[in-house]
Amino acid sequence: MNKNDKKNGQKYWQSLDQLTDSPEYRRYLLERYRDGNGEPDNSFSRRSFLLLMGASLALAGLAGCRRPVEKIIPYVSQPEEIIPGVPNYYATSMPFGNSAYGLIVECHEGRPTKIEGNPAHPSTMGSSDILIQASILGLYDPDRSGSARHKGGEKTYDEFVAFWNSLYEEFSKNRGEGLAVLSESFSSPTLARLKNNFTGRFPKAHWATYEPISDENIFKAIKNITGEDLRPVYHYDKADVILSLDSDFLQTESENIIAARGFSEKRNVAKNGGTMNRLYVVESAYSVTGSMADHRMRLASNQIGGLLIELAKHFRDFPEFKAINTSGGFDQDWIKSLFSDLIHPRKIAIITVGRNQPFWVHELAFAINSALGYMENTISLKKIKDASLPDRKSLNDLVEKIDNGSVKSLIIIGGNPVYNAPSDFRLKSALKKLEHSIHFSEYYDETSAVTEWHIPRAHYLESWGDVRSADGTLSVIQTMIEPLFGGKSDVEFYNLISSGEDRKGYNITRETWNDIIKGGNFETEWRRVLNDGLLKESSLPDEQFKLKKPRSSIIEDISYAEFKPSKDNLELTFQASKLYDGRYANNGWLMELPDPISKLSWDNAALISPATARELELNNGDIIQISHQGRRLEMPVWISPGQADYSIALPLGYGREFAGRIARGVGFDTYKLIDSFNKFLLIEASVTKTGRKHNFANTQDHNSMEGRPIVREADLLEFRRSPSFAKEMAEHPPLKSIFPDHDYSRGYQWGMVIDLNACIGCGACTIACQSENNIPIVGKEQVSRGREMHWIRNDRYYVGDTDEPQIVHQPVACQQCENAPCEQVCPVAATTHDKEGLNTMNYHRCIGTRYCSNNCPYKVRRFNFYNYVKDMPEVIKMAQNPDVTVRSRGVMEKCTFCIQRINRAKRNAKKENRTVKDGEVQTACQQACPAKAIHFGNVNDPESNVSKLKTNDRNYDLLGELNIRPRNSYLAKIRNPNPLLKGYKPDNV
Amino acid sequence: MANGTENIAEYSGTEQALDPDKLSFRGITDKISGITERRTPPVWFVAFGAAFSLFLVLLGSIGYLIWEGVGIWGLNNPVGWGWAIINFVWWVGIGHAGTLISAILFLLRQRWRTSINRFAEAMTLFAILCALIFPGIHVGRIWVAYWMAPLPNQMSMWPNFRSPLLWDVFAVSTYFTASLLFWYTGLIPDLATFRDRAKKKIKKLIFGILSLGWRGGNRQWRHYELAYLILAGISTPLVLSVHSVVSTDFAVSILPGWHTTIFPPYFVAGAIFSGFAMVVTLTIIARKIFSLDHIITLDHLEKMNKIMLLTGMMVGYAYSIEFFIAWYSGNIYEQFAFLNRAFGNYSWAYWIMISCNVLIPQIFWVKRWRRAVPVMFVASIIINIGMWFERFVIVVTSLSRDFLPANWDYYRPTFWDISTFVGSFGLFFTLFLLFIRLLPMISMTEIKGVLPQADPYHHCPGGHNE
Repeated sequence: MNKNDKKNGQKYWQSLDQLTDSPEYRRYLLERYRDGNGEPDNSFSRRSFLLLMGASLALAGLAGCRRPVEKIIPYVSQPEEIIPGVPNYYATSMPFGNSAYGLIVECHEGRPTKIEGNPAHPSTMGSSDILIQASILGLYDPDRSGSARHKGGEKTYDEFVAFWNSLYEEFSKNRGEGLAVLSESFSSPTLARLKNNFTGRFPKAHWATYEPISDENIFKAIKNITGEDLRPVYHYDKADVILSLDSDFLQTESENIIAARGFSEKRNVAKNGGTMNRLYVVESAYSVTGSMADHRMRLASNQIGGLLIELAKHFRDFPEFKAINTSGGFDQDWIKSLFSDLIHPRKIAIITVGRNQPFWVHELAFAINSALGYMENTISLKKIKDASLPDRKSLNDLVEKIDNGSVKSLIIIGGNPVYNAPSDFRLKSALKKLEHSIHFSEYYDETSAVTEWHIPRAHYLESWGDVRSADGTLSVIQTMIEPLFGGKSDVEFYNLISSGEDRKGYNITRETWNDIIKGGNFETEWRRVLNDGLLKESSLPDEQFKLKKPRSSIIEDISYAEFKPSKDNLELTFQASKLYDGRYANNGWLMELPDPISKLSWDNAALISPATARELELNNGDIIQISHQGRRLEMPVWISPGQADYSIALPLGYGREFAGRIARGVGFDTYKLIDSFNKFLLIEASVTKTGRKHNFANTQDHNSMEGRPIVREADLLEFRRSPSFAKEMAEHPPLKSIFPDHDYSRGYQWGMVIDLNACIGCGACTIACQSENNIPIVGKEQVSRGREMHWIRNDRYYVGDTDEPQIVHQPVACQQCENAPCEQVCPVAATTHDKEGLNTMNYHRCIGTRYCSNNCPYKVRRFNFYNYVKDMPEVIKMAQNPDVTVRSRGVMEKCTFCIQRINRAKRNAKKENRTVKDGEVQTACQQACPAKAIHFGNVNDPESNVSKLKTNDRNYDLLGELNIRPRNSYLAKIRNPNPLLKGYKPDNV
Repeated sequence: MANGTENIAEYSGTEQALDPDKLSFRGITDKISGITERRTPPVWFVAFGAAFSLFLVLLGSIGYLIWEGVGIWGLNNPVGWGWAIINFVWWVGIGHAGTLISAILFLLRQRWRTSINRFAEAMTLFAILCALIFPGIHVGRIWVAYWMAPLPNQMSMWPNFRSPLLWDVFAVSTYFTASLLFWYTGLIPDLATFRDRAKKKIKKLIFGILSLGWRGGNRQWRHYELAYLILAGISTPLVLSVHSVVSTDFAVSILPGWHTTIFPPYFVAGAIFSGFAMVVTLTIIARKIFSLDHIITLDHLEKMNKIMLLTGMMVGYAYSIEFFIAWYSGNIYEQFAFLNRAFGNYSWAYWIMISCNVLIPQIFWVKRWRRAVPVMFVASIIINIGMWFERFVIVVTSLSRDFLPANWDYYRPTFWDISTFVGSFGLFFTLFLLFIRLLPMISMTEIKGVLPQADPYHHCPGGHNE
């Protein structure tokens, strides 16, 4: 060999490049042997030729196997706080209407990947909801607007600044004559300061604030009776009896997260001395709150005011109501029992009214709340500061001013009024009359399409700013990442229009906080605010509730229409959907999340009661034409048991025409029916059948438990009589296995308990899991074929008869069976048990026989029928959690109790030479749950929270009779009906 | 094999089955060999063209499947197995008759089997080939399906021996190997006949190699018959085991409607049932086209019909006992699963199954119908449709409505489910047509062995004892 070397020079390959003869290598050779002398010897000896050929053949596939070369740019100076692979957590806030949520954001190497509630923040208390969880996907939405536009053509932001400055000069001269702003509502010291600057500079300018879904009626009612701008903060954690009138306070009303937390705490029998709260719900459409009711009365929304009057008649404080005749024909026994419960001397009661109800119903409810005498306990009224309150009239005035020519230039800050303003405002045609119109928004949407300018808006995770949440707590919006699409933050835009200067949001925000932080070193305090996510002790004090008007005068405002819905006089109600008002329509996670009640994924539907459907001869999917005062909308119906008769519920936020790839053309635009006067409660609508059909993607075809002990439920009295009723509901022979048991006595043994008495069925767990575990969106067609991928789903069953059913929710994820049926049947051992009791999935080993799924009694395994991530836009890949494998086509996947979080906690504990503490590992679903229904921990530790819960009387294993020994168990549901009410309990629970 | 006095009685049976007037040793050889030696009839080309087109449909469907993923089928979340597994079980079931006829009837000295055994064995092999496609392609990652085999690998990882799918791999491949050997062993003397009659050199060479030097000597016959007997002995338990093992795919699971101890015998009976139905269907066509009425007589067909009547009632019994056990178990999930079969969302499939498998075979109580070729032809096809639906009912209805009602969903096949199944007939018939064109489709040797002339006590004109 050495001889060969000497003779022919070396013939051993130096590098893989040489072997595969890549262009780079040839270039390298050319450079190296340029002088001719050193040119490599091309004459091969036979032996070396064979040698090379052999090696080449062996490595022939190499060129094909090589990954594309990517240049890696290392940090020149490594940022101190970033360790690759170790996430950083930052506090921030999500502005939401007149409120805000305090959050903690998990960032991997500078990109945010997961959002959690901030445990220190009173608005979230560490929990979150579907909108918060899904907002991370909104950050990476490739359909967000990427550049400023002028009449549709792309422009730079600087060009807009120049344009605005010329306009600014012009309007500075006439003090804003002819200028108007249409903003979203906000609650933020900096924005309020900038708005003041703006109105100071342009006193004659018109400022309108519009929100399609808002608490305007509530604010107006409180102002009417107290004379002040106050907002209510409900303390459900103190209420023993709750009457909810059309109020979905657990899901779609304001401050739903803390409401759910308080409500579920008060439902915990063990912690409330053997008793729990009682919830009465009167509503037209079945809501999440309605599903938690102990007594639910379905009633057309327009009749609810009448019901409240009937209730008020029982109070001595309101003698003047005795004379009013309501047409409802209400169940007087029901009202009487409710009344006696409300005034029960040992119970604190609360009446809450939904935002759709007219303001006089709110006034009356506040009056009754006040008469009950518990206002100081249950409802605090807080000053509204630093806010721009929604005001439909201001939008109406704006349109009038445009129409009469007194407004020539309009700046629309956020929102999408062309899509979601009442159609009788004719905003679209009004906008065309303007000389200049500017729309500042995240998407190039319906409104941007008709305005002269469109300016891209940054996501809140890309922005600096600040907010004041419902109880007045101040917090900072801290940016997590540079704007991905070059958007501008709210404060930057407000600053531009109020001063003409293009400044950085960071400086603008700090300027405000210079005044807010008083005393101490500013820099230290500022850093503390950023770290904590809020300014400590900044919540506002409770205001004393003083009735300005005498109680009797409320009645003057009540123009109670004698409304009785019928087949030809139908009621229409409009609800915030999972897309809220439509602003989240391009969010695939929200789109695909099944509605908590109807279980419809993707579309919205006109919800009608079974009886009304029978009368109108309608079936699921029949497209109807809904007419109301000349406005028409064609949309399909979905029969919703428990819906009030002759009342049609219409979820808002769908049917977007000018939207991204997810939202476009999905569902039906119910805003088209909205009336500016009555807004969300319409009467005298009619319906005709078109004869056409629509296909829905529904994730739950069957709604009954078929008498099986799945969700186990008892009422409070039964529970007291036999506390372990849940365990007794399933009979089975002695449970014996032919397989030897694993040894579960040592180390960590992970387990979960889900409290069905706390779970409200909202779906936050599903989206949190989707975000944490990189679960793909599969699209409507795949969902309609039963291929949704959610690892934790929420089963919803109706109990009782189809007209007046009760609802139970049950979140079901992998139950991590100790005798797992899936493990036994996998031919390649891709799913196996680990020594900590987890039923783990080895995606790399899985060949996709789907046998495990067939043998799973819970059907929680999800199969990748296609490559669902194939067409995933590059930018969305940034939202993926790097700790979790992205699954390929043909592979089974499922919940593994967030094993990546378990391992991180174990690593941290090992470094600190200790064991993992109870509560240190939180699964994504557990962390998100606003009702704290999910508990997780080490069942081998008798002192852990989860171990204690497993000894609870209500604890039971779902399908435990199959001897699969699930690690996940449930706490049975308990309802607390009023024993005075007859027939309170459905026949076949 | 054929000596001793007890055979005499049997001969009287065979004499009825075969028509001795039309049969002589030479006549049989000419008849059977002639089918492959004569020019290919045009009808064969037509049939082969059609079959091969269908085979291309299968290849296309599999190609698209590999390209896109099993999402092209109608599977959904509760129903993880659909037509692919149904087809697999159905084809394996069809593959039962061949070895049953060859091995068990051989051991039981049912000599009427000789006319149909070659045919049935070939059918078995091709049916198993069709069956084997499905478990291979139905997995999500087809390119690593070989991980089911216990191959040495760098992870020193075994497959999971607790999984019935793995048992399937062994059971079906063993069955296929044994059936292939059995079939080939039986072919050897006939291949030698072909070799001897071959006029072209290449043909002579090929059959020469395939016949393994067969000379027909006494020693060779002795060894041959012993080997055949041993193979029959080996194959016999396999006939019973293979479908029993296939049934454990279902029986070992915990799914109501699958989790049943009755499955192994019930599946075996069903497999014999469908296998015989398929043999009858194919036999009727072949004897018509190649005028083999005197070799495959009505007596043969009638005997097969009797077996179908018997096995049909066995599956009927299984259907009813499942209901009894479901009721008797007191298990609400079991009870629901069976009521749902009969009266639930797939009741149409259940009643098709009952009509085809239990009611239709009852016509064979009537001797006239049992011997009427058109009647049995239609009935045999109906029975195979019914047996396909039996597997459909088992696989789909149980999965579509299991423990938690929230998971329930309805399964519908897509175009690709159907095209793959239809295409598998293409493979089956392509192989079958090649077989009847190239190889002796009836065992000349064995037919000759049961002719009266073969009997040493037979008195025939010109016989040696005359």
